[in-house]
Amino acid sequence: MKKIPLHPLTWWIWSFAIVISIARANTPVFALVSVGVVGLVVISQREDAPWAKSFNWSLKVAIWILMIRTFIGVTIGVPIPGRTLLTLPRVPLPDWMPGVRIGGAVTLERLSSALSEGVIICAIIVICGAAASLTSPHRLLRVLPIYVYEFGVAVVIATSVVPQLVTSVARIRQAQRLRGQNTKGFASYRRVAIPLLEESLARSLDLAAAMDSRGYGVSRKRSRYRPIRWSISDSAVVISGLLVMGLS
Amino acid sequence: MIRFSNVSLVYPNSTTTVLENLNLEIAEGELVLVIGPTGSGKSSLLRLINGLVPHHTGGILAGEISVDGVSTREVKPGGLAHLIGIVGQNPINGFVADTVEEELAFAMEALNLPNETMRKRVEESLDLMSLAPLRSRSIATLSGGEQQRVAIASALVMHPKVLVLDEPTSALDPIAAEEVLSILHRLVHDLSITIVIAEHKLERVIDFADRIVHITGDGQTTIGSAQEIMKNSPIAPPIVHLARALGLEDAGLSVRDMRRRTQQLRDSTPLSHPRLIPVSTTAVIEVEKLSVAYGTKAALNSITTTIFDNEIVAVMGRNGAGKSSLLRSISGVNDIQTGGVKVHSLESKDLHSKVRRQTIGYIPQEPSDLLYAQSVAKECEQADKDNQVSPGTTHSVLAQLVPGISLHMHPRDLSEGQRLGLALSVVLSANPKVLILDEPTRGLDYEAKKSLTRILLEFASTFNRAVVIATHDVELVAELASRTIFLADGDIVADGPTIEVLLSSPAFAPQVAKVMSPQPWLRVRDVIDAIESKSR
Repeated sequence: MKKIPLHPLTWWIWSFAIVISIARANTPVFALVSVGVVGLVVISQREDAPWAKSFNWSLKVAIWILMIRTFIGVTIGVPIPGRTLLTLPRVPLPDWMPGVRIGGAVTLERLSSALSEGVIICAIIVICGAAASLTSPHRLLRVLPIYVYEFGVAVVIATSVVPQLVTSVARIRQAQRLRGQNTKGFASYRRVAIPLLEESLARSLDLAAAMDSRGYGVSRKRSRYRPIRWSISDSAVVISGLLVMGLS
Repeated sequence: MIRFSNVSLVYPNSTTTVLENLNLEIAEGELVLVIGPTGSGKSSLLRLINGLVPHHTGGILAGEISVDGVSTREVKPGGLAHLIGIVGQNPINGFVADTVEEELAFAMEALNLPNETMRKRVEESLDLMSLAPLRSRSIATLSGGEQQRVAIASALVMHPKVLVLDEPTSALDPIAAEEVLSILHRLVHDLSITIVIAEHKLERVIDFADRIVHITGDGQTTIGSAQEIMKNSPIAPPIVHLARALGLEDAGLSVRDMRRRTQQLRDSTPLSHPRLIPVSTTAVIEVEKLSVAYGTKAALNSITTTIFDNEIVAVMGRNGAGKSSLLRSISGVNDIQTGGVKVHSLESKDLHSKVRRQTIGYIPQEPSDLLYAQSVAKECEQADKDNQVSPGTTHSVLAQLVPGISLHMHPRDLSEGQRLGLALSVVLSANPKVLILDEPTRGLDYEAKKSLTRILLEFASTFNRAVVIATHDVELVAELASRTIFLADGDIVADGPTIEVLLSSPAFAPQVAKVMSPQPWLRVRDVIDAIESKSR
């Protein structure tokens, strides 16, 4: 599918509209459908850029959160009566904690309530990740008001150094594999972390020096080389999001 | 244009002065070359010009520096952005935008220039640096030479009066380096921009320099014309060594000049045939139909070659020709290859820990990737333990390679040459059967390159081992390699004795060969040998 050039705020507004609809509808089915739709949009519209991977990352993080949250929801808390699926051993708690229990019977109702809450929270995380992977942080930075620009140095450093670090990690691990070192296990992290830390510090200093010597922050006002304009397709995307929000 | 008066510089927590009482005046439209051993303060001198030192780094600065009448003491680097363009050693570290065009506009946006001015100047600079076809490309996808050109262009959009470049060609192949340097030459002559440039590979730049500042290492500097400095500088390109060896009165700096003066020598010697060193027949590395691709882009197309015992093989080619891919595949860490690589009839991909260390020694582009201990001593101990050799072995190797390194130093605080030496001794303490080096000469000065050459020649001849080295440095190849493999776009386009491969390509010929063509002499030593055998 063709990639539509859009205003950097468009996908963020659209995503927020979807997030609000998910919260309002409060049903896991709607949340899952939204994630599916957003996923399709991301796959067809994202560019081949480092930040485009943030959708995949948020998906992974969301699945972890869902698993941990469901586990805790099932094992700790107030029992919900219903059909018992399995019974876990109960951890005895002192008398002054009535009503709270750890372990015990896991009912279908308890599992489904923990799952459905989790799915909704995770869908919200994934949709924010999708917005991040559809928008260049550099372009987003340009349309944000001037006082946000104060964070500019930090954001530019983060967005340009972090993706480079991913390639650095691969490179360092490869070099150490060649030194015949084991690249798995906890000890290997230290061996990778030290050269990596040195490199990222050196890079950040280089970048800060480069930005400084190119006049960054000298003028309070910044002009725009390519002004970013709001177009009809932007309005169309935003309206579609708002419609979903209204209908939910 | 630039005036240093009585400038001295000391960094915090340091007892040595970087510069002492430097007086230097650079006129408009002058190209000044800064030379000196690594760590002598070349970069510091460059960064003093726009005030990055000491505003960004700290340090005590005595004396006065002014650029176009503006003192750097009062104005921060940002305030000089319209006056001075600075291009760092690794331009990729200084890029802030996604695409070429936006990168060029960055500094102008920061200074709030009107849109029409920006448009005009971006177009201008794109044309000047021949970047127009790349204008909307993502910067990360550009080659090294292109990135260097983008960095220079994004300095030029500000219409600076001074351009400062720190080793602009160190990562570039000879052809890309030539491109960048001829652009600088044009800027000086057409636009009268003042250029200050630091460079190790003098053979590339000396011809363009109006004056040279030689930092000798203890804070002292000598300043003079290229002729004056080259008369007795220990840092000199091969062409100057040739003039000295031939006893010519003053050093010829360009190939053209030297050719005129050695006309008689060339003509009076009968055309000799290069002596070829007999090659051993024991195959060490067997590469069989090796292909590597990154996504849809092929890096190597079905390459087959064999490397023998006691051979030093140089792998050359332009940036992105597949040199690193070939080296990584030989070392067995490329997971995306098809075809096979055998080292001593072992599949190199299947090697692990101890067997790997004893079979293949590999020095990556950044030697510090191999190092992670907190001091030189700990690094050596770790290597002894890993390789199960008697304690102190690695350190004695190190002492041989680069004498005088303090054991308590942090590897990060070593100079480029010393760090390479440490990485080499860690690798060599396992006494590997094959040694592989990926561009080891980046940022090395002549002295360090000389000792690297000595170490590698010794290693290959004493232990009868094969060495494979990827490099852009033709002079190093001439000194070191017995065989050269030339890669272009993933194919082997030339493979043979170094002398034949280098002489057949004008761009990759070393300086001595260019001067002495059609005589088959690559090194100063070859010329002297030929003269001696003639007089005998």
